[in-house]
Amino acid sequence: MSSVRDLLGVAFAGLTAKLTRTLLIMLGPIIGVSAIVAAVGLTESAKGDLQQTLAELGTNLIKAEAASSFGTQTPSFPEDVVVRVEALNTVEKASALINISGVVTSPYAAASSYYTAFPIPVIAADSAFLEVMDVGLVSGRWINSFDDSTAGRAAVIGSGLADEFAYIAGAERTILVGGFKYGVVGVMERITLEPNLDNAVVISPQAADRDFDTGIKATTLYVRSDPDHTLLTEEALPVAINLGSSEEVNTSVPTDALESAAAADTTLQAIVALMGGLALVVGGVGIANVMSISVIQRSAEIGIRRALGHGRGLIAWQFMLESIVVGLMGGIAGAGVGALVVAFVSRTKGWVVVLQPSLLVLGVVAAMAVSVVAGLYPSTKAARLEPLETLRLG
Amino acid sequence: MTTDHLLELDGVSRIYGEEVKVHALDKVSFSIDAGEFISIVGPSGSGKSTMLGLLGLLDLPSLGELRVTGKAVTELTDAERSRLRGDVVGFVFQQFHLIPYLDARRNVETALLYRGLTAARRREMAMDALDRIGLAERAGHRPVQLSGGEQQRVAIARAIVTDPLLILADEPTGALDSTNAANVMEIFRGLHSHERAVAIVTHDPAVAASAGRRITMRDGQIVADDLIPEGVS
Repeated sequence: MSSVRDLLGVAFAGLTAKLTRTLLIMLGPIIGVSAIVAAVGLTESAKGDLQQTLAELGTNLIKAEAASSFGTQTPSFPEDVVVRVEALNTVEKASALINISGVVTSPYAAASSYYTAFPIPVIAADSAFLEVMDVGLVSGRWINSFDDSTAGRAAVIGSGLADEFAYIAGAERTILVGGFKYGVVGVMERITLEPNLDNAVVISPQAADRDFDTGIKATTLYVRSDPDHTLLTEEALPVAINLGSSEEVNTSVPTDALESAAAADTTLQAIVALMGGLALVVGGVGIANVMSISVIQRSAEIGIRRALGHGRGLIAWQFMLESIVVGLMGGIAGAGVGALVVAFVSRTKGWVVVLQPSLLVLGVVAAMAVSVVAGLYPSTKAARLEPLETLRLG
Repeated sequence: MTTDHLLELDGVSRIYGEEVKVHALDKVSFSIDAGEFISIVGPSGSGKSTMLGLLGLLDLPSLGELRVTGKAVTELTDAERSRLRGDVVGFVFQQFHLIPYLDARRNVETALLYRGLTAARRREMAMDALDRIGLAERAGHRPVQLSGGEQQRVAIARAIVTDPLLILADEPTGALDSTNAANVMEIFRGLHSHERAVAIVTHDPAVAASAGRRITMRDGQIVADDLIPEGVS
């Protein structure tokens, strides 16, 4: 044990004797490990943020659209589509939407020509819409049965449209939808999974049918499934809707796009981590090179240590330990720098920092492993030096 | 074969080269006993360096037998030979060979490493050795901050700190001025005792004359082994 302590002391003394050189050869492990930690940490943090967003949104939202079937100009679902879909035991809730085309919406009459050129989407949605989309209202309320029973014209608008129309929360405001004055009763929160709805006007199916003769056949369906059976539910929807053939329903899971983005980041992560690994290997070559030169420069020291009774094994260990200490210190510093980069960038981007302690340990171990391999040649070379040749006796 | 000699060479040859063989030492036999003060003299190429390497266990004979405190050196492993060297021999070199990045005390302590000593005990022994050669107050100085004479005294402290049975010196005054050389030789005279032998390889007749026994070498052989009545022995 005391020999190990003595060896460590000798190794540290050798390294601190040429501090600048030691710090320079530490740069290899520092750059390599910090690149690996930063690459993995940043992509994990970005993914962690995405996963947090996904967890908040839920990955169990399925969108089904009536597809154009041969000979049908305006494809739509059957009237009782929600009942049919909710009959599936993996479906928690469904909401049907009607996309109303050819209706110009404008904040006031004089702006109609502009909004004819740049139309605002108008949809009719049932009362389950907010629950299924898992969004709330920024202000006001949703369209209720009272509005329909009294033939009132109530509309809820998206946040983007509220900004565009300079809508002040709580203000009594009407907008023109297809020439009819609709009172804005509420503003929806932003809908991350369907951002195009942020600029939409939502009215009730009854009002749509009454004013625009749309009928009550939905064109789009949003379904919340059992989170464990999203894929199964997505596959079962066309059959449940039963339009005659499954090709006439297009289904998608909006969060798939976000998950694909996360997968793309993994590829980038692998590339950057690989480059970090290469930097580590190059750093290892640097250690081997500098340590080999150091052995030549310190040949007299090696000779005198041998003359003082230090065996070849102890000389080999002395240089191996110097190499390992460089790898260890460089690895620790690199892990620290990498962690700081991850923390700094995550903070800048507003991400949650995801940094596994095992990643830091792995970085340090990798640096040490490289330094062990790098130290093999110089330590063997040092041990093989003959003291008679280095001490120049006689 | 058992022996009472501290060190014994029995028909030792040291041959270099594979195809063209060079006999640096040729069937040399002699012994060193505790308490002797020996000088080894001879012209360049006479085999002094080879002899020093063998006496210091830094080299092995090609032929013959070298025994140290009765142990046949050729039968030892490298680690055992290193340990024996550290225990039995203390070296002093012409060029001092101090480790440049260590101060005087830590240079002396280098000889005490890997012996199971605590750092405090090592420090105490090193300071004691430096005190014996009058350099305790320079313990914290690095070699570059010391004069040649002081560096050689630090090297002597390093050689004696393990209390070896044999001190081997290679031209210890070769790099010193006459005053420092005289001081160093005075220290050497004080080092040899009934238990310890001192062997100095030198070109300097004055240094050789101060020894009690002079071994003269030529062409790899001992040509004279004289006792010097006025020497310290």
